[in-house]
Amino acid sequence: MTVPLLLPELAAFALQTGFVDGLGQFLRPTNLVSVLVEGLAKSAIYVMIASGLTLIFGLMGVLNFAHGSLTMIGAYLAGVVMVVLVGSATGQWTRLAYFFGALVVVFAALSLLGGIMEVGLIRELYDRPPIYQILLTFGLTLVLEEVVRIVVQFYGLQPISEWQGALGTKPAFLATDQSLGPLSIRGLAVFEILLGVATVAAIWAFLTRTRYGLYIRAGSEDAEMAEALGIDVRRVFTVVFALGAGIAGVAGALLMWDPVWGASVPLAAETLLPAFVVVIIGGLGTFRGTVAGALVVGMADATTTWWFQNVVTWTWLPEMAVFLILVGMLVVKPQGLYGVEEVGGH
Amino acid sequence: MLVILALVAYPAVYHLLTNSPVANLAVAVLPRMDSMVAVLYFALFAMSFDFISGYTGYLSFGHAAFYGTGAYVVILIANGKVPLLPPGTPFVVSLLIAAVLAALLAVVIGLVSFRLTGVYFAMITLGFAQVMYVFVRGWDYVASNPRDGPAVGSTHAEGFGIGIPFVDQLNLAIGSFTGDTVTLLGHELGTYTVSFYMVGLVVLLSYFAMQRVIHSPFGRVMIAIRENEERAEAIGYDTFRYKLGAFVMSAFFGGVAGALFAGFRRSVTPENTFYFLVTGDALLASIIGGFGTLAGPLYGHLFDHGVREFLSNRGQGGGLLPYLQETLSEGLLTTQLPGGISVQGFIQAALNGHASLYVGIVFVLVVLYVPSGILGTVRSRLGGKLSETLPARVWGDR
Amino acid sequence: MTLLELDGVETYYGESHVLEGVTLSVDEGEVVALVGRNGVGKTTTLRSILQLTPPREGSIEYRGEQLVDLETHEVADRGVGWIPEDRRIFSQLTVGENVRVAIPDDADTGEALAIAFDTFPILEERRDQEAGTLSGGQQQMLALARGLVGENDLLLVDEPSEGLAPQIVADVAEALNDAARETTLLVVEQNLPLALDLADRFYVLDKGRVVDDGDTAEVTADDERLRRYLSA
Repeated sequence: MTVPLLLPELAAFALQTGFVDGLGQFLRPTNLVSVLVEGLAKSAIYVMIASGLTLIFGLMGVLNFAHGSLTMIGAYLAGVVMVVLVGSATGQWTRLAYFFGALVVVFAALSLLGGIMEVGLIRELYDRPPIYQILLTFGLTLVLEEVVRIVVQFYGLQPISEWQGALGTKPAFLATDQSLGPLSIRGLAVFEILLGVATVAAIWAFLTRTRYGLYIRAGSEDAEMAEALGIDVRRVFTVVFALGAGIAGVAGALLMWDPVWGASVPLAAETLLPAFVVVIIGGLGTFRGTVAGALVVGMADATTTWWFQNVVTWTWLPEMAVFLILVGMLVVKPQGLYGVEEVGGH
Repeated sequence: MLVILALVAYPAVYHLLTNSPVANLAVAVLPRMDSMVAVLYFALFAMSFDFISGYTGYLSFGHAAFYGTGAYVVILIANGKVPLLPPGTPFVVSLLIAAVLAALLAVVIGLVSFRLTGVYFAMITLGFAQVMYVFVRGWDYVASNPRDGPAVGSTHAEGFGIGIPFVDQLNLAIGSFTGDTVTLLGHELGTYTVSFYMVGLVVLLSYFAMQRVIHSPFGRVMIAIRENEERAEAIGYDTFRYKLGAFVMSAFFGGVAGALFAGFRRSVTPENTFYFLVTGDALLASIIGGFGTLAGPLYGHLFDHGVREFLSNRGQGGGLLPYLQETLSEGLLTTQLPGGISVQGFIQAALNGHASLYVGIVFVLVVLYVPSGILGTVRSRLGGKLSETLPARVWGDR
Repeated sequence: MTLLELDGVETYYGESHVLEGVTLSVDEGEVVALVGRNGVGKTTTLRSILQLTPPREGSIEYRGEQLVDLETHEVADRGVGWIPEDRRIFSQLTVGENVRVAIPDDADTGEALAIAFDTFPILEERRDQEAGTLSGGQQQMLALARGLVGENDLLLVDEPSEGLAPQIVADVAEALNDAARETTLLVVEQNLPLALDLADRFYVLDKGRVVDDGDTAEVTADDERLRRYLSA
């Protein structure tokens, strides 16, 4: 069959599914801008849940399956702080200030947990094949999630559904849409973008502007050589693991406020899988790649979500798109956007 | 061999013990008969996972795709949704078709994935499985509500028979309500017991088939790949073909396991077939039982399932809480512990339904301190067979 | 005065026994060459000193202190530098960052950078360039520069001339001669004339053991005494 013969059928299919109408709508400036904003907001979330993962993998070659669980714990912890502090009378800006307080608490607590995990458990496994680190951290997810489930149930919360009490501590201007000329933009989306940019900038500055960041980048490339130059790579490992866990927690704190995610036990798996996708698309272990990967996945997610909401009825489209990008990437360029050539050699 | 005998005797032992003076304890501790059927087919899935992951060292993190394919194909055939295959297709035939389709899927996934190693291989297989998971969850052809998954409909009301196809007398149906019962020497064997033996038969045949491969020259190349792939390649083996071959075989048996699951349960969901945590359960069983020991996953899964059922929340048909409620006095159960919580409340809050916690702790301890698992350790203590003592050494010093 | 002393060092890679009792010593201010065929354990000797591949038996003393069972970074902190076989520069870091990684925490970074760039002006020109883009010779200079800024009293240099054009080998030799005025060197080198030219003394390693040693003044590159251990 030749292509021209197929064209009318394709056109018919396109008309039938409303594809042409949809495309016209999609290309309207207001829609494009709102998809762009949503895409950036999603990218910001993805970069936050994936950064810790990629830092840890880049330096230590450990694929931390417990990363999602750390995000989930961060979400609950931030929720606890907010629910305790915020009352119905609490002012909008005070709520925002408390949130930043919660971020500090969560970062400190999760860093501590990460440090303990590295020293107590992961350290035992560096001289074993990398598969064992996947196994160990996978086991940790079972333990961490079940502990959280026990605690959450004990306090009478539903572990499966999003924690509404914590969602309700948002200031009103983040919970509603803000109009900007002809545009209507979710307040939370803007907040997520700002926080995502701040996180990326902070990590970037830490890696490139501080002595410790230099050690981390050197150790990521050649841990043995770094050690021979007098760097205590073991201590750097602990610091990076703690840091990665802390960033995972901060991401969780943000998700605690987002009604699409929310604090719940399944949040662990829901964030772990996209985080994997993002770091692999970007190239495991490169921070620059993770930022790029998050942008790709975030934009694809926002675009397909828009199509699903406005044109087609395939509920699975956004989620499927994310994993298809992953598979496509691994088929075409397994080392990812910014990965080094040597794949899987870790 | 002892194990097979023990398993063959299990229904009788279970029957005896649960009708004996220690019945309460037995009901609480021993897995129920229907659970034992589940243990068998899931153990087969775990074995198939271990077959590729434990022997070649390639972690097949998307193995659930094959289990799911096996399960969905059986139900779709029974519902008349597969072209050319009538709903009345004998179960053994549809089981084989399902397994072959799983194997074909493995060819496609394997061709792409085996260009990668290590963590990347694990991730790309996971990616494929997740694509399928999302897809079946959204495809309304498979079920009217695809999120809840399909069930066998009225087009196939009778049970799925295991035996010689097209000869009704030589088939015994499986399933809790649809299964056959058999009267043997004056004892009636219930549907669960019959299902247990019929599913067990298929699992046993599959186990022997995989065992045969492992002990063949092909199996030795698989182990050589795990030990040192470069060396295996240097000796002149086309390792890509061996890896792909092993992957396809493991997918076949993963498909068989999924088909048995669907045949026994008659309804499946995306969550208990294609989801990545299904692979996680197989991983759990393999590691606790002994990575790279074919029978290990059976023990591992028996342990996992046993703990889960013992600490289950259902409060009937066995488990810790009903046992304690029956045997302990009311006074003790309501005794207040420090912190203002009663004994019963504590069990309810910290033990029941939270088996994952304890299984997880055991898993972590096994990974850290007993990397060869239950079976591997027992066998190497006994100075066991070559294929079983190898893993600990190989995995230990790389 | 003895700076480094190895006594009966036995090192394994997994099951394979690489060093079967290496005994040698290096005095302060000396340049000592370690020569021998491929695979006799020269690199392993350096790795053992650094505790990168810790020995199972024997002792390694540096300024009278036992190094065995220290961490590699602790050995480095005591003033032992390593210029490894394939340079092992950090290719994704800039040239300047590569030098900075090697500068000890308590040292004056500006001063150390100045030393490195005075010695190798080419590195200053390429300071902000990714080190992976340097030529082989420049990478060797960078590796040497890292050794120089590390405030080391002993430099372990592995195959400094390997894979370099003759002209560049001369530059590297000159740089090593300069370095030798400040620090003690233990050099593994296949290029025998170069090794004898650089060093005051030599050790010959064969099958994991020291089989000969002496002053470089006693021998020439085509001496039968050396050739029987070195030619293939």
